[in-house]
Amino acid sequence: MFNKGFTTNFNITYSAMMWLLVAQLVVMAPLLFYLPIWIFPVLLFSAGWRMRVMQGHQEQPQKILKTIIAGVGIAGLFFSGMPMVSLDMMASLLMLGFAYKALEVVEKRDALVVILTGFLLIGVLFIYSQSMLVALYGAFALMILTGALIALQHDGAIQIDNSHKSTRALLNRIIPNLKLSTLMLLLCLPLMLMFFIVVPRFAPLWSVALSGGGHAKTGISDSMTPGDIANLSQSDGLAFTVKFMGERPQQNELYWRGIVMQHFDGKTWTQSSESFEPETIKRKLRTDVQAIRNRLVKKGYGREYEIIYEKTAQPWLFALTPVVNIKGDALYGSDYTLMARADLLEPKMLSLTSYPDAIRDEYLDEKTRQRSLQLPKGGNPQTRNLVKRLLLQSSTKMDYITRVMSRFKQQNYYYTLRPGLLGDFNTIDEFLINNKKGFCAHYAGSFVFMMREAGIPARVVTGYQGGKWNEQGQFLSVHQYDAHAWTEVWLKGKGWVRFDPTAMVAPSRIEKNLELAVGPEGGFLENKIFSMKKYSWLNKLQSKMDSAQYAWRRFVLGYDRNSQSAFLKRVFGELSLQKIAMIVSGFFIGIIMLWSLLLGLGRKPQREAEEHQLYRKFCQHLEKYGVNKKLSQSPTEFSQYAASQLPSLAKDIEVFTQYYSQLCYNPSPAETTSEKNSITVLRDLLNKIKKGKFSESSGSF
Amino acid sequence: MLWVIVPLFKVLQNGWLDWMEDRFPESKHITLNIRRIFVIPTKVSLGLLVTLGVLFLMAINFQNSLIYALTFWLLALIVISIFFTYRNLAGVTLRAIHSNACFAGEKAVFEIELSCPDNQKKSAIFVGWKDQDVAQATLQNHQTMRIKLSHSTHKRGLLKPDKINLFTTYPVGLVIAWSYARLDMESVVYPKPILQDTSPNQQGKSDDADAGNEIARGSTDFSGIREYQAGDSPKHIHWGAYAKTGQAYTKTFVDYANQERWLDWDSVEIAGVEAKLSHLSAKVLQYHQEQQVFGLKIPGKIIQPAAGEAHKTICLTALALYGRP
Repeated sequence: MFNKGFTTNFNITYSAMMWLLVAQLVVMAPLLFYLPIWIFPVLLFSAGWRMRVMQGHQEQPQKILKTIIAGVGIAGLFFSGMPMVSLDMMASLLMLGFAYKALEVVEKRDALVVILTGFLLIGVLFIYSQSMLVALYGAFALMILTGALIALQHDGAIQIDNSHKSTRALLNRIIPNLKLSTLMLLLCLPLMLMFFIVVPRFAPLWSVALSGGGHAKTGISDSMTPGDIANLSQSDGLAFTVKFMGERPQQNELYWRGIVMQHFDGKTWTQSSESFEPETIKRKLRTDVQAIRNRLVKKGYGREYEIIYEKTAQPWLFALTPVVNIKGDALYGSDYTLMARADLLEPKMLSLTSYPDAIRDEYLDEKTRQRSLQLPKGGNPQTRNLVKRLLLQSSTKMDYITRVMSRFKQQNYYYTLRPGLLGDFNTIDEFLINNKKGFCAHYAGSFVFMMREAGIPARVVTGYQGGKWNEQGQFLSVHQYDAHAWTEVWLKGKGWVRFDPTAMVAPSRIEKNLELAVGPEGGFLENKIFSMKKYSWLNKLQSKMDSAQYAWRRFVLGYDRNSQSAFLKRVFGELSLQKIAMIVSGFFIGIIMLWSLLLGLGRKPQREAEEHQLYRKFCQHLEKYGVNKKLSQSPTEFSQYAASQLPSLAKDIEVFTQYYSQLCYNPSPAETTSEKNSITVLRDLLNKIKKGKFSESSGSF
Repeated sequence: MLWVIVPLFKVLQNGWLDWMEDRFPESKHITLNIRRIFVIPTKVSLGLLVTLGVLFLMAINFQNSLIYALTFWLLALIVISIFFTYRNLAGVTLRAIHSNACFAGEKAVFEIELSCPDNQKKSAIFVGWKDQDVAQATLQNHQTMRIKLSHSTHKRGLLKPDKINLFTTYPVGLVIAWSYARLDMESVVYPKPILQDTSPNQQGKSDDADAGNEIARGSTDFSGIREYQAGDSPKHIHWGAYAKTGQAYTKTFVDYANQERWLDWDSVEIAGVEAKLSHLSAKVLQYHQEQQVFGLKIPGKIIQPAAGEAHKTICLTALALYGRP
C-alpha cells in the first residue's frame, strides 16, 4: 500500500540467520521427545549447509540436493509406521518442513515463513504436554522466535562494526534484541490475560483423533487380577486432585469409585463377560442422569466437589458414588460409574455433586441380579465348603456377611504388598484358606466370591481410597498408590451397600494411608530409588509443588467453558452483552494507558541539539543584518559569504563556523568535555556577534 | 474516537490536499509526532493472523488452554507492536541541510539531518522517495546523523522534490509506521550540456578571440615560451624544458582585454529554447574549462564577463532558471 516502490524483501543478514537457526533448534528440541528423532539431523544438516553458505565457503544448495533431502524426509515419514492421518504425522510433516526450510532461507520472506511455522510448532508441543515446565519452555521459545523476528528487521547493533568474531560484538548484537523481545512479551501479558479470560470458549468443531501411540496407559485398568493393584502401589504418580466446596468428608469415607467388575473367570475380574473394549462398554452402560436419579433414594446430604483428572489414556473417571449432578462433559454408566467421552489424553476437570448415603437400586432387575451372582463352574472346593458351613451357622444374610467379615479379622490374615504367587487354579482357595496373605484385590475378590456362592448379589469395585490432604492448597491429591479394590453387596431395602474387607485386616489402610498400613514390612514405593515420599523435607517441597501443580491444573488448564462462565459470573456478577463490552473496553483502555505510560509515548517532544540551536540563532542574527543563508550553501560557503558582507565580524563568523562544523561532522561522543567546551565557545561567539554588530552599526549611522 | 473523527471531518470539509497541507506544512525542519504518523498492519501480520487462525482451531479442537494462551499472546503482540513501531518513529526530527546543483539527467543530492531525542533509540528507519533513493538510519540518544539522498532529474529548472517518505517496521515487522516530511528544499538543475554544430559566421562573431588585443603577461591563454626572468610566477616555469636543458624557461600567457567573449542568446542560431540553453550550458562549461573570461546575455538577464567557479555557477543558474518568473 504505502510502501509500493520501496524494496522490502531483502536478503537476510548473517546475524538474523544465526537467530533463526537458534530459534529453530529451540523450537524443535522438545518435540523430539514425541516425534521421530531423525528429523533433527535434517535440521542440523540444513543449518550446517546454510552456515557455510553464509560464511562464503559453500554455494547455495542446488535444486537436486534440495529435492533429495525433501524426498528422503517424506519417505522416512511414510515408512515410519505412523498412521497416515494422525496428529503425529501432521506434526512430523510440519517439523520436517521446518527443518528443511533452513536450507532455503535466503530472503526475508523465507525467514518469516520459518518463524510463523515456529509459532505453530509451539502450539503442537502444547498438544503433547501441558505441564508447567513445558509452558515455561514454550514461553522461552516464543521469546527466541520474537527475537529472531526483531533480528530480521535490524541486527541490534548500534555502531556498525565488522568484527563478527569477538564475543563482545556478538553479545552487543544479541542482548538488545533479547531484551526487547522479552519486554514486548511481558508487556503483552495483561492483554493476553484479558483475551484468555473473556474470549468465549467453543466446543470442539470436529472430533480429532489423537493417536494413543505416545500415551502409555496409566492408572487402574479395566480388569482386575490380584497383583495389579499391588503394582500400582509402586507408583507415586498423581491420579487426580479434589477440591471440596463444603466440608471435607472423613478420610474413611473417601471411596473414589471407578470401575465395577461383574464377571469372574476363576482368576480375573472383568466388567462384563463379552468384551473388554471400552467403546462397547460405554455403549452398553450408557444412561442418562434422569434414569440414575430415578433409581436413587436421596438420603443424607450432598457433597459438592471439583475433580481434575490427570491424563491416563483411559476413559475411566472416579468419584464418590452416587453422582447426581455433573458440570462438565462425562457419561453416566448404569452401574453408577462415570466415563469420559474419549480417553483422557490431557487433564480433565469436572464439578460433581454426590450423595454418598443415598440408596442405590432399591429394586434389583433380573438381569443385574443374574450378573451379580455369576461364578465360574467348579473350582475352589474349599471355599465353597466354607461358605456352606458359615451359611448353616448364620440366621440371616446380614449375619452371614458379618461372619465373613469378622473372619478376616479373627483369622490370621495378613495385609501385604508381597503376597506371593497364588497359581492359576483355585486362586480363591489358595488365598483364603492356605496363604492368607494378600492385598486389597485378594480380599475384595474372595469376599465377592463368598457372597455370590451364598446367593447374595455382589460385585467388585476398583478405584482409589483416601488421598493426601494438602493443607496449603486446601485440596486433596489422590495418587496411584491410593488405588484400592472393595465390594458392593445388594441387600433388600438397602440397595447396594459398600463392604471393604481390607478394613477388617488393615484398618490403618482405610483410616490413614497405605504407607502406614504396610509399615515396617516395606514394599511401599520400594522400586523407586529416588522417591520424594521417603524424605520429610522433600515431602514439604513436594506439597508446595503439588499446590502449584493443582493451581495450574485448576486455573489454567481447567479454564474451559464452564469455569469461564462461572468465573466471570463470580467476578462481574450477572452478565449481559453490554456489560461485557463495557468491561472489555474498560480493560483495553486501561492496558493501552499503561503501555503509553511505560513506553513514554505521552512525553513532550525534545528540543534539538544545542549546537544546532546555536547555529540557527547565529543564522537569525546574520539575517537581521541582511545576510541570508541559502539552502544550497554549506556552512563553510555561507561563512565565506557572510564574512565578505560583514567584514567587521569576519573573524568571529569564521571561528563560529569552524567550531560548529567540527561538532557536526566529527562528533566524538567519548570526549563530552571538549564538546561542552565547544558549546561554550559557540555561545560566547554568538554574544560577540550580537554585540559586535551593534557597535558597528552605531558607528555607521 | 475524536482523533479519528475530527481529521475525517476536516478532510471532508476541505479536501484531502488541504488536510495534507495542514498536517505536513512545508518547513526547513520537522519533528514527527502523533499528528503526522500513520500506523498500518503489514502483510507479515496478515500471515501471522492466518497462523493464529490455525492455532485457534487447534485450541478449540484439542480444548487446550495453553494453545489459547499462545494465540492470545501473539495477538497481543500484534497490538503492542503498533505502539512500539510508532515509538520508533515518533520524535525523529528532519532538517534540510544542503542541496547540490546538478545538470539535468544527473542526480541531485540532498543532504538531510536526522536527529533523535534524548534517551531514545530509533532503529532501522527508512528515509527516501518512492522509486528514488532510500537510506536506512539508526540513531540513539540525542545522536544526529546526516544522510545524502539522491533524486533523479529530467529537466532544467528548480527541482523541488516530492514529500519525503519515512517509515519503519521495527521492531517486529508486524506493522509499519509511516510519515511524510515536506522539507523546504530545492536544487537548481542546470540545462543538460549539449554542444550543437553551429554555423561558421556565428562562430566568427562570438568565438573569434584571436582577433582581439592581447594583454601580455596575462594568465588565460598560452602564447609562447621565453627565458626565465626574475619575478616570473613559478606556476609558469616550463619544468619539462628545465629538466631537459637545465635552463629555466617561462611559459607566457595572454589575457584578452577588449574583445571579451560573449555568450549571446540572440547569436546562437539553434531552434528550440531548451536546445539553445543546452548549448549555452555546454559553452559555459567549455569556457570555464579553458579559463576564459566570458559574459552571458540571455533575454532579461545580462551577466558581465568574468571567470572562475562562482561565475560559472551564476551563469549556469541563470540558464537553469531561464523563463521562470
